[in-house]
Amino acid sequence: MTRRKIPALAGILILFVFLAGALVGQKSEAPAGAADDLIASREACTSILVGKNASADGSVMATHTCDCGVCDWTWRHVPPADHKPGSVRRILHISQYVTWPPSQGLKWDLVKKDYAGFDIPEVPHTYGYHHAMFGYMNDQQVAIGESSIGCQPKMRNSTPSAGMDLTALTLLAMERAKTAREAIQVMGSLAEKYGYGFHDDGEMLAVADPNEVWLFEIMPVGPLWTPKSGKPGAVWCAERVPDDQVSVCPNESRIGEIDLADKDFFMASPNVVSQAVDMGFYDPKSGQPFSWKKAYSPREGSAVSTNGRIQRLWRFFDIVAPSLRLKAETANMDLPFSVKPDRKISLKDVMDMTRDRSYGTPFDPVQGIRGGPFKNPNYYRQTRVIDNALAEYTTITQCRASLPAQIGGIVWISFGTQDTACYMPFYAGATEMPKSFAVGDHWTFNRDSARWAFDYTDFHVQVAYSAAIKDVQAAQTIYEDGAIARIPEIDKQALALHAKNPAAAARFLTGFCLNNARTVVDAWWKLGDDLLVKYNHLLLYDAEKRGQQRNQPAAPEWWKKAVRIFDILMEPDKQETRQGGRP
Amino acid sequence: MKHPSGIPILAACAALLIIGAGAAFGQTVPKAGLPVLTTSAGQSTDVETLNIVMEEAGIKYDYCDVPTAEMLTAGVALGGRQSGPGFHVEITTDTAKFPAGTPYKAVLIAIGASLKGMGASGLTLDSEEARLKKLCEICKQKKIFIMAVHIGGESKRGAAGSDNERMIDAVAPYADFLVVTKDSNKDGRFTKISKARNIPLAEIEYALGLVDIVKQVLL
Repeated sequence: MTRRKIPALAGILILFVFLAGALVGQKSEAPAGAADDLIASREACTSILVGKNASADGSVMATHTCDCGVCDWTWRHVPPADHKPGSVRRILHISQYVTWPPSQGLKWDLVKKDYAGFDIPEVPHTYGYHHAMFGYMNDQQVAIGESSIGCQPKMRNSTPSAGMDLTALTLLAMERAKTAREAIQVMGSLAEKYGYGFHDDGEMLAVADPNEVWLFEIMPVGPLWTPKSGKPGAVWCAERVPDDQVSVCPNESRIGEIDLADKDFFMASPNVVSQAVDMGFYDPKSGQPFSWKKAYSPREGSAVSTNGRIQRLWRFFDIVAPSLRLKAETANMDLPFSVKPDRKISLKDVMDMTRDRSYGTPFDPVQGIRGGPFKNPNYYRQTRVIDNALAEYTTITQCRASLPAQIGGIVWISFGTQDTACYMPFYAGATEMPKSFAVGDHWTFNRDSARWAFDYTDFHVQVAYSAAIKDVQAAQTIYEDGAIARIPEIDKQALALHAKNPAAAARFLTGFCLNNARTVVDAWWKLGDDLLVKYNHLLLYDAEKRGQQRNQPAAPEWWKKAVRIFDILMEPDKQETRQGGRP
Repeated sequence: MKHPSGIPILAACAALLIIGAGAAFGQTVPKAGLPVLTTSAGQSTDVETLNIVMEEAGIKYDYCDVPTAEMLTAGVALGGRQSGPGFHVEITTDTAKFPAGTPYKAVLIAIGASLKGMGASGLTLDSEEARLKKLCEICKQKKIFIMAVHIGGESKRGAAGSDNERMIDAVAPYADFLVVTKDSNKDGRFTKISKARNIPLAEIEYALGLVDIVKQVLL
């Protein structure tokens, strides 16, 4: 064996190991049975929660990466309203997943046909709010983020006895709650009374206000529940994230042992333990303390044991508190509920977290040859990272106690996958959303839809990811960092207006938000055009110089070697032909 | 308001409702017997509800989400089929009483279309329809009782020609007994099928009402 052959054989060996690993990974990707559904429902959204004393500017933050890939992405503003005594609120069944072709109309008009069959008494005043798939921010600075967590299969209730879906609950919370605690009570009590489930099962919500953020989890109680049973039609529990800490929900239940005597940190439905006992999920005689997540939404495995499939929980804690040295081998169920970050977390940090791809970790999606020559993290999806190509949109809500609610609350919205998008601020006091935010779907390209501007850019980034992402990051610096930098001045001007005339402040904030969004959306259409030109034919065209000279983005040496190794592995007998240079 | 004994009372109410519904059509709840297979038409989660109903009723059953005519013909234990990706089997039938291979006397089908569910099972609407057609045909040939259930309610019904309606068309006309929640039958669709095909129909208010019905049909 010559010295030259040793590296080649070593390469083959490595490739074999890699392929074997990939095959093992694929096997664990598709388990049979009911667990399939549980895992599927648990590969969607991520929600990050930041307490007020854990953030750099004292704001309470909550995120929602709405990871679906086929869902509706449209946004609306619902104005505040006063209601006459005796008014009723119509309850609709709203599926997170169902969409209609644009030719049939818009989702938020069409869902009105899905009457749940009952009305509830209306409250005298409902708050204004911004919503998409869920309610996100109302004019009192109550904010919400979401992550599906699944539940024990026996708990699901897809029958009409479950009057409330999750979306409806969040909209009602927006309409009726002035604080996070009120929002939890509104959602919890309505779910108990009218039953919860139908389109949804185990779900988590981050529920925030300017003072605190709670992690709220809710489950149905099985399909045999009826409103006439006199028992709660849902079981729920909420734990407050300590003010100086941060938490996350990556599609798995996070609440463990609970102490309902500590009312500042725990809230729950009256059946929180008894439901588990009745359904056989917890035996009080076991000697074990009751654990919410173990009873209602147990999950096996760790980041390592699942080949990175459930690594977001570990990864988040590793980003915010590396000093804790939490191990990726630790079972997710044993990781902490929340941690104190090593340093205070800024809004920009949170934006970066939503764009996290686990680079540099054992779950790096571009390590080895996974990302191809241009290190594209979207090629290899065994590792489930926080940034998700399937994101409809991502929200970061900021609730700020130092300002009036109209000005203090901001929901930052980015459309599509986070790494190629741009966050745009919408103040709680804004009274309008852009028209381009209210239209579009996945199946019809639409230049009037804001979301398509971001998909358009994202599509062109995929061609030569490692080069094109730098162009996007440059644009983010201008438009996203630029907006962040402008916020203190906008706050100041809005505050001055608010002192004299709150309605004028609302008009000012609306104008700022709409104008900023229009500028960003236009910029992203142009960015997509520019990327198309620049990376056309996988060459580097310089539109300014217009020269004959073009340079292909450099394919690294390791990639060329990997191609040769693959040839040897797959068709060793043809090597001589290839080395001979014949086609 | 607490009703610790609410479930038996409701079950009794449901039973009365069924008898009333049956009486309205001049029919009583038919008898089928065991062993029984539960399955889905359209792969919605309604079949999970059906299985929970069976457990609540204390009836052992076999379950398969996408049984073929061959599997059905193989009888109890479905010829030893095991779960795999996109294919779920659960055998709880008491094989001491009904050894593997014992012909099924009844098939309970939960009608409800879910594209997500069909996608997970690798099915299209057309292939699901074709599978159900064969399944119903073999039931007729082998004189296996078909009880078709629709408990998804009004908002899961869909417009004429929709996924869910195609599932109803694929199964309901071949059923020996139809059990539907009242709000699934607001437009009288199941009543029409029942009258046209002379199939007994029972309306229930909630899925809980099914518990008593499956006991009457199967035990």
